[in-house]
Amino acid sequence: MHIMEGFLPVSHAIGWSAASAPFVAYGLYTINKRIKEKPEQRMLLGVAAAFTFVLSALKMPSVTGSSSHPTGTALGAILFGPSAMAPIGMVVLLFQALLLAHGGLTTLGANIFSMAIVGPFAAAAIFRLAKAAKLPFGTSIFLAASLADLLTYVTTSAQLAFAFPDPIGGFAASFAKFATLFAITQIPLAISEGLLTVVVMNALARFNAPELQDLNVTTTLEVKA
Amino acid sequence: MLTEQSAYSNRWRRISPVAKGLFALSGIIAAFAAGSTRTALLIAIVVSAISIFGAGVPLIRYLRVVTPPLLFLLVSTLSLMISIDFGTSASGLSLHLAESDFPRIAQAASRSLACLTALLFLALTTPLSDIISLLRRCKVPETLLDLMTLCYRTLFVLSEAVHDTMTAQSARLGYTTLSISMRSLGGLVSSLIVQVWQRSLALNNAAEARGNDGAFRFLENNYDNTRISISIAIVSGSIIVALAAILT
Repeated sequence: MHIMEGFLPVSHAIGWSAASAPFVAYGLYTINKRIKEKPEQRMLLGVAAAFTFVLSALKMPSVTGSSSHPTGTALGAILFGPSAMAPIGMVVLLFQALLLAHGGLTTLGANIFSMAIVGPFAAAAIFRLAKAAKLPFGTSIFLAASLADLLTYVTTSAQLAFAFPDPIGGFAASFAKFATLFAITQIPLAISEGLLTVVVMNALARFNAPELQDLNVTTTLEVKA
Repeated sequence: MLTEQSAYSNRWRRISPVAKGLFALSGIIAAFAAGSTRTALLIAIVVSAISIFGAGVPLIRYLRVVTPPLLFLLVSTLSLMISIDFGTSASGLSLHLAESDFPRIAQAASRSLACLTALLFLALTTPLSDIISLLRRCKVPETLLDLMTLCYRTLFVLSEAVHDTMTAQSARLGYTTLSISMRSLGGLVSSLIVQVWQRSLALNNAAEARGNDGAFRFLENNYDNTRISISIAIVSGSIIVALAAILT
């Protein structure tokens, strides 16, 4: 869920940018550390950013029949780690603004916060929790991907409600309004994205075990022969 | 991507990105400074007219680029205009228009429109490689710039891979039903992930073979009359901001 360019008041635009900045800085720090440890991964995250951009241009079959596009936040968080997703997400969102006029420069901070910080960290946390609860691999992936999508849209609703509180009901009424309106498109999208992520991870585990081992994902999943 | 075509072929391609960036920035500042809906709309018209007549972006292409975000803006504005009542009315849940809020919504929507034209001005006149070099001047961290450079280079390679794979899959009826298309898409994405891995290793080998051991280095492009164009951008940008501040 992107927030349109110029849609947020100036104080909110600056506030969300300030809120996202430490996460991006920390992400860059972890990327630098990672490159020092594994120099062969130097190009990996840049190519991963292109992958995320291309992924967001794909049309995904949705359960209700309407088509929507995958966000790839959970997939990225599981494959490349949640902290690396903040700078990657920043690059992707900037490119979407400049190449597709989707999202914007002034709302970059707010969009980074919902899509490149809340989404990936939620996905990684849920994935870890599900694993600790000994849920099957597919279920853990599905929960991580779909719940991360839902949390992303809840964050966007909260950001919009915070900027545009209801004249009578205030923040709560406005938040309920946005959450309800967006639920129509976002809940089917979350389910589709969850299913797609499961299919992707299963295909990867079946056909590309060596690559997953190099990405350090194999410790988190059983590779089927 | 249509914005790319214009970015490389417009009349102002050879003008310093600093000047174009400054002008886009002042457009955004003016959009936020605008006191009324009318002023913001005026800014939107002026900035888009400059992109079309000044930079020579064809009108048809401009319209095609601006339509998707405009639809998105329409949806966002409509969602602001509707107010949902939970439980206070007899029927439990009711929809009505938030009429008292209309002036504020109109202001947000027009500001958004003006900002959009400023963003499009930059996107349609300046290729991303120029924007990256502009960011390099602004002392953006090298790691982030490298991410952007790599992303920009690989973007088109991966889009082509997606296009080819999808053609092959469709030729084998891979997108006929919902469950089959989900499986095809899953296969497509997972093969793409493997490509990400393999291509990044190949890129790394290529870079190491050429002795690259750190950040990417690029030669700065030379632009004609940089000083003059920057001064023009500052003057015209200030005029727009001043107009936005004065007009009510």
